Amino acid sequence: MESKDWGSMSQLVTTPLEQITTALNIIPNQEYLLQGSVLDNAVEVLLHRLRGLCDNVDTSPEPFYDHEMCFTIMSMESGTQPQPLSLRVRRATDYPDMPFQLRYIGVPEGTGNNARPTIVRSSIDIGTSSTIVEFLTELGCRLDFEYVARGYMFRKGRMKITVSKIFKLNNNGKPPDATEPISQSYLVELSVLAPSGQDAIAEDMRNFAEQLRPLVVLDKIDVKRIPMSMS
Amino acid sequence: MAYSVNISIEAPVENQIQEITFDGQEIYQTPLSMSESLAKLAQKIDFSKTGYEELKRETEAIDNGAEEENASKDNFQSSIWPWDSVRNKLRSAYTETCVLADVLAIAKEKRYLVLDPVQQEQHDSKSMTSIYARKKALAGAGSVLLTGAERLRASQTEAARNRAVPDFHIELLRLRQNWRLKKVSNTIIGDLSYRTAGSKFAQTGMFEVTKAEEESDRPNSPPPSPGANAKPASALRVSVPSELQGVAYIEVLCSQKDQEDLCSASINLQHSNVTTYGADVHWQQRLESAQNVLFCKELFNQLAKEAVQLHAPIPHMVVGNQIMASTFPGIQLIIKLRHSTGEGEKKAGHKSDHDHVLEHSLHQLLREVHHKNTHHPFPHPSSAPLGPSKRRALAGPTAADRYTLLEMTQSETLLEQIIKQAQHFFTRMRTEFVLDSIVKEVKDPLIVTHWNALNSPTLSCVKINIITHGYDTVCRTSLVIQVGEKMLKCVCRDGKVMHMSYEPQELRDLIYCQIYQHQIQAVQSLAKCMGWHYLANSSHLGIGAVEPLGNACSCILASPMGDRLIAVRCEPQGGVLVSIAHSPKKDFFSGQLVKERKWENLGGGFKEVRWDKMEGKNFLNKMELLMASLTSS
Repeated sequence: MESKDWGSMSQLVTTPLEQITTALNIIPNQEYLLQGSVLDNAVEVLLHRLRGLCDNVDTSPEPFYDHEMCFTIMSMESGTQPQPLSLRVRRATDYPDMPFQLRYIGVPEGTGNNARPTIVRSSIDIGTSSTIVEFLTELGCRLDFEYVARGYMFRKGRMKITVSKIFKLNNNGKPPDATEPISQSYLVELSVLAPSGQDAIAEDMRNFAEQLRPLVVLDKIDVKRIPMSMS
Repeated sequence: MAYSVNISIEAPVENQIQEITFDGQEIYQTPLSMSESLAKLAQKIDFSKTGYEELKRETEAIDNGAEEENASKDNFQSSIWPWDSVRNKLRSAYTETCVLADVLAIAKEKRYLVLDPVQQEQHDSKSMTSIYARKKALAGAGSVLLTGAERLRASQTEAARNRAVPDFHIELLRLRQNWRLKKVSNTIIGDLSYRTAGSKFAQTGMFEVTKAEEESDRPNSPPPSPGANAKPASALRVSVPSELQGVAYIEVLCSQKDQEDLCSASINLQHSNVTTYGADVHWQQRLESAQNVLFCKELFNQLAKEAVQLHAPIPHMVVGNQIMASTFPGIQLIIKLRHSTGEGEKKAGHKSDHDHVLEHSLHQLLREVHHKNTHHPFPHPSSAPLGPSKRRALAGPTAADRYTLLEMTQSETLLEQIIKQAQHFFTRMRTEFVLDSIVKEVKDPLIVTHWNALNSPTLSCVKINIITHGYDTVCRTSLVIQVGEKMLKCVCRDGKVMHMSYEPQELRDLIYCQIYQHQIQAVQSLAKCMGWHYLANSSHLGIGAVEPLGNACSCILASPMGDRLIAVRCEPQGGVLVSIAHSPKKDFFSGQLVKERKWENLGGGFKEVRWDKMEGKNFLNKMELLMASLTSS
């Protein structure tokens, strides 16, 4: 299927841009996101609730153990102020044979006005091989920060719910060991990847978040407005 | 009062403690100002308790004080007047004391006013009325309790009498435990479809739950037999749409072409007597059978769709409730949807060739599809998109080619899978038959077949051992035959692999060939034990009559002395031929051509042994005896 597209692209040299623009309407490149956090001692209850609410009650929750590295590079477009562009590389520590995931996350929209039920941000991700880190370094990217996320994920239709604990990596230690938790709580994320213009899913997410209400409050979190007490 | 001593009271030097913090630090109250402390003290005075004289003295004192205060605080009287209540109380108290003093003064003279004790009899009458009121109230409360108790008792006896009649709500609760229900305005709607389990069938499985009517329709129905009376009637009625009523199942037949008339005769059985059994079956069974009907319909629908879309060399046919798919030349797989709304008529209909295993496989296949629809793999790392399988996720980074991508999109349809299973079923059955018949035909080497218990729906395995009774340690030929869908694969001991088609004759040839090879090999290893030399052998002898199946095998053995020869020839048609030769012969007559005795050492002149007259239980036994006799003589 995909290869057919490639073939036609090489034949019609004039149209690749058009094809990309048409493809962009189908590619799920918008991430609808709600976030929240829950304390360590309450996470069991939340997991229990999520198991009941999400698909496949019969199976146990799927664990994950990811290592994420964030790289930044200054984008030097002519005539503009150089702006940092950040790219995230994520790999599954517990599935070494799965591809790495390179991800660009855009500026979140919808944090300010209340009309939108969730944060919407553009998200482009692609599976890559493990040499992506060297590739980015060669490009001139600089490792900004890295962390380890470990927790469980759930599915409910198109929605993905992750409950994860964020660990700090100690000085140059390998990810499986030498980690310490960043806080006494778990990060809860409810996200859907969809093509642009499918705002109906945001309402579904809102309704689902309502069902988790007293256990965890999922909301639009504007990262820039959080007071940075840690640093 | 005259001896009263003035006691001066002072506030303590230390301030009062307002709060002690956790680290022991004491937080003091700020000291009161003069006016605040005065107001506080004034509020402590209980005017109702103080005696007249004291009161008077105090009032005077306070009045004086107040006047002094007033003078000092004149300038902010208008805005804040904290002494207002004190003044009012003092004034009224003063008025009262004045009046009391006047009254007392008048009463002392006893001219105008006499003090007399007052009779208080109205208090008595009041207590009597309160007793009456209490009595009445108690009686009212008692009657309320009594009526309540009466009603409870009545309902309890009612419940005890109707113990057999089940409660609608309890039944509803039970229904709710196993089935999906929801309330739409005034009706209760249930859903028995497999949609939550991953089905994508368009037909809905809605049913409605209602409360069963009371006994009103009972007199109309004929009185039930005493045996049937024991069955409790349900307070709950379930109405299932008519297309889901009754009993359905998928019938799978594997039939030869010439037996087709048997199958087509049994189609018009449905709708013979419609819905006579409806209300009196328990709702659980009704719902279960309705769900089964829905499942069978989905299964058949899916199979029919695939049968139309699939491009088979012999196209599959869908006629009404029947799908015909060809498996092997002359053998058809017939899948039928049987849906009967009445009971009992189909049992007499046909003794079925119905294949329960294949029916079960069909159910299993559809359930697998359902399961796959709901159980998608989770992405790793967790930021990856939901949905693509692991192979799809790996396709990009590993630069999969066009062929691999195309291969990923293809999946086997249910019909293809069931046809494969049917083909395997046939191939296995034929293999079994061929092996069994050979085992029956061939007595001399024993053929032992062992079917593996572990197999898959499309692959099974049989191990064949060929041995001779009494000589099983001398020689044993073993081979494994893997039975696939349309072909057999034979793996011999020596690693030779042979592929065969589904035609049973090929397997037959192979087994016969193996039998004769076994005989020759057994003779050779027996000869080794007996000290004989084996000179030559050929498993596919090119001389002699042409065999219809396979080739003849042969071998030549020489005695330890080298003066006797035995030639053995095994052929599928003629059986075993054994010939012997002596070299040199004991008696020599020189002739015209052979003049000297030495030429007799060249051998030749085989004479056939009349094998059926030989002593011995089987071929090897006879050979052993033959060799023994030739060695000794």
